[in-house]
Formats: sequence, structure tokens, C-alpha cells
Amino acid sequence: MTSLAQTGLPGARRARNYALASRLLTGLLIVLLFFLPVLYIIMVSLEQPAHFLSSPLTPSAHPAVANYSNVWNQGNLGAELVNTIIYSVAAAALTTVLSLLIAFPIARRLVAWPNGLYAFLVIGLFLPLSIIPLFIEAQKLGLFDNRAGYILLHVEPGLPLGVVLLTGFIAAVPRELDEAAWSDGCGYLRYLLRVIVPLTWSGLLITFLYSMLGVWNDIIGPVVFLVNPALFPISRGLFNFFGTNQSDWTLLAAGIVIASLPILALFIVTQRYFIRSAMGGAIKM
Amino acid sequence: MRLGLWLGLAVYGLFGIVPALANVIVSLTNYSGLAGSTTSFSGLSNYRAMLTTERPGFISALWITVVFVVGVTVVQNGFGLMLAHRLQGGRRIDSVLRVLVFVPIVLGVTVVGLIWILIFDPAQGPAASLLKAFGTSSAFFGATGVALPLVIGVQIWQNLGFTTLVYIGGLKSISREIYEAASLDGAGRWARLRRITLPLLAPAMTINILLAVIGSFTTYNLIYILTDGQYSTQTLGMLAFNNAFGLSANLGYGAAVSVALFVLTLIVALPLQWYLRRREWRITS
Repeated sequence: MTSLAQTGLPGARRARNYALASRLLTGLLIVLLFFLPVLYIIMVSLEQPAHFLSSPLTPSAHPAVANYSNVWNQGNLGAELVNTIIYSVAAAALTTVLSLLIAFPIARRLVAWPNGLYAFLVIGLFLPLSIIPLFIEAQKLGLFDNRAGYILLHVEPGLPLGVVLLTGFIAAVPRELDEAAWSDGCGYLRYLLRVIVPLTWSGLLITFLYSMLGVWNDIIGPVVFLVNPALFPISRGLFNFFGTNQSDWTLLAAGIVIASLPILALFIVTQRYFIRSAMGGAIKM
Repeated sequence: MRLGLWLGLAVYGLFGIVPALANVIVSLTNYSGLAGSTTSFSGLSNYRAMLTTERPGFISALWITVVFVVGVTVVQNGFGLMLAHRLQGGRRIDSVLRVLVFVPIVLGVTVVGLIWILIFDPAQGPAASLLKAFGTSSAFFGATGVALPLVIGVQIWQNLGFTTLVYIGGLKSISREIYEAASLDGAGRWARLRRITLPLLAPAMTINILLAVIGSFTTYNLIYILTDGQYSTQTLGMLAFNNAFGLSANLGYGAAVSVALFVLTLIVALPLQWYLRRREWRITS
């Protein structure tokens, strides 16, 4: 044992140095790859337009805060942000409620063929996003180019993942609670609200956040389902601004920052749920 | 109770299952989506058109898709493994970096796409300045042969965080004792990596490889932002979208390409899943 420790010493130090060096190197690589681009956009957003044209890679002597007010006024960013918030919160809330209403009877086997029903919903994870039939459907059902329709069209994409996640969370709630509540005469919806929701709220939150992210960042939906610019969410607004003002990079960079701040703030507050759900193997194949 | 379940299933059926099936029906018509045009069944003519010179572009899109899928899957998993290996620790800096690599997922395709368009702007971008220092230049996203690797790179940048976190979850599930026992038996760093880490990561690899393959087969929203399928970046998903909603306005042909893409995805993903599962089983038993 002592000989092992003695001969191990120099090797252990070399291994430690190696680990330290490679950790530093990876840290540096990640910062370079993931932080520098973001930092660069922030820098450009604060450059004077004339300064950007002559020397784009250095910050201006005086930060051009006016870029932010200019893009805010030239684009329609305020209204578009409000649209995005309405669409993503409403659609994600509907997705979460419906996922719970589907997942509970499946997890508790209150319906015929619970396993078959579960498999039927898992298929949804692999279905191609059939944007062409959806476009036709949206027109036939009056969901094309209006707010309510746009929200309704964005409920389904989050359902399969929501049901899969929540079925797992509900299965972890002991069944004895159901029986106690049933015998006390507690109604179905009241039971869900009073018992299941508090005990599975982190699953509900993850479902809500992932659905919300999907709606917030969607660009194909706004291109296909919306025509009226007053209904555009920020993703399409920003992309259109890029299309019409290709050379105004300082303004566009300010627009990128404005469009990202709300969702980034939400992510920073809720990051541990995102990180934990991704690390916890929420998805099984 | 029934009402909530049926409501959820109705939304799932109407906006998930029906469009997926309707894709097949639309693909058998000459539906253009334009007002005033007549629509009739055209049998398999859309499918025949793919393979003939009547509608060129399918075969080249097929090859571009293959390059895209293989490039994204291999590099994303390679980098993901590497980053996971370094970021699995419990230090504060590790958890900060874990959050950082996740940020592009939160920012979404529009913002991520515009960030990289700015960085690779042929006139003002930092990448152009770097090339200029070496006495050369490139149109980047506007150059055939350069655009596709760049698009693959941005796609990986966007999704690397999730891959990495799934691998970290896999690494954390391997017990310390196995490593300690192996060290005592004289297994070196390389042997431990090859004989313990990689085999026991098999379930995480199954998830990550399948997600990357299925995801990169079907995705086109980032490509839409970066190049709109120009400069040899038109994958099958992009081809389907552009045929339906681009200048050509042919929803029938677009639907046929979607169906072909879906069948192709299944042909690749199902045997791959079978193989990866069998590999897991062989290793752990």
C-alpha cells in the first residue's frame, strides 16, 4: 500500500497538471465558441453606424445607445414582443393543461388501452411537421392569419413531450392519495388541482417552458400562418427587418439583443429546470 | 375527466395526426394553393417527377441531406462527448459553463441565424477580417461549397448544449466505485475511458444519436434563415418547404417530398434504433 502511494505520487501530480490544463483549455474553448459571438453582437449593437463601417471590430469611443431607440421606433419591436408573449404564454399554458388532462388518466389507467394510448402519443414525437396540410387546414378552419388560430395551431407540437414527461411525474405520486381523496368525495378536477398539480409542479413547469420556447422561437409558423404585419411575432419581425435593412448591422444587432433579453431573463431564472431535465434523461428511446 | 382527455386527444389528432396523414393525400394531387386554380388527383406523378428531370433538385437535395445528417450527427456527438467529459464536475465554473452551452437553444433559430450571418458577413464581419489578414476572402453563406459546412456548423452550435447535457446525465449515472476498482486493477486513463465510460454511456448515446439523426433529417428552419436553401444547402426539408411556399407554389409536389423525407427518415432511424438498443443490451448484459 505504501509503495503504491510512493510510486503513484509523481504520476498523480502529472495527471493533476494534465487535468488542470485540459480543463482550462476546454473552458477557454467554450468561452470562445459560445460567449464571444454573443459579446460581439452586444458590442456591434453599441457601435456608431459610421464607426462600424470603418472599423467594425472595435467598440466605439461613445456607445451608441441610440441604436436601441432607433430600431425600436423603425421596426415594430414593441408590438411584436407583446404578440410573441401572448402567443407563447397562451399556447404553452394550453399545452400544459391538456398534457396533464391526457397524462393523468393514462398514468392511473382510468381509460381503456392506456398503453396503446400512450404509444399513440409517443408517435407524435416522431411525426414529421406536416406544414403543408396544416397550412390548408388553417385556411379551411378559419385559423389562418388571426391570433386565436395562431395560438391553437401551436398547442399540438408540445403535447407529446408534455404527456411523456407528466406521465412519469404522475406515476411517482402514490396511488393511495387518489383513493383517500376519492373516498372523501373529492371531485376529479379539484383533486388534480389540489393534489396532483402541487406534487408534479416541476414537471408542469418543464412542460410549460419547453412549449413556450418552441412557440417563442418559431419562424416557420409566422411565415406560413400569418400575413398581417400587425400580428407578427418578434421572430418574423426581426427577420423581416434584416430583409429590408441588410446593411444596418448596428440597428439589427440592437434588435437581436432586444428580442433575446426577455427569453434569456426567463432562462436565467429557470435554468436549473432546463439543465436538470436534459441531464435527467427525461427522454427515453 | 373524459371531457378533458377527449379535448386533448382532439387537438392532438386534428393538428398532429390528421396533417401527417393528409400529407400523403395532398402528395397525390396537383394542388397549387393558388386561388382560382383547379385541383385534381394526379396519381404518383409527383413522385415520378422527383426521380426524373421534370423537376430537378430532388437527387441533389438528397445528397445534401445525407451530408448534413452525417456531419451534424458525428460532430455534434463528438464535441458533446468531449464537453460532457470536462463539464461533468460539481465546481461552480462547471455549472456556469453548462448553462452557457445551453444558451443557443434558448435564443432560437432566428437570433442564432442572424448572429452567424453577421459574423460571416462578407464585408463587415470578423470572419472576413480574419481571412483578409491571410490575404484571402470568401462570400461564406453566399458561396457554394462553403455555405453547407457553415450551415452544419451553426446547426451544431445551436444544439450542442442539449447533447452535452444528456451525455453529462449519462456520465453521472456511472458509479465512482467502478472507476476506483478499475484504477486499483491498474487500468490507465485510456483503458478506463474505453472499457468503462464509453460502454456505460451507451443509453445516452442512443438518445443523442437518434435525436441528431431524426432532427437533422427533418429540420430546415435554420437553413431557411441562413441561406433559404441557396448555394447548395437545399436539404429535402427545405426543398419541400420552398416548393410549397416559395416562388413555385406547388403544395402537391412539396407534400410528396415531405412524404419521401419521412419514409427516408424511418428507413434510417428504425434500423439505427434497433442496432443501438442491441448494442446497449450486449454491453450491459
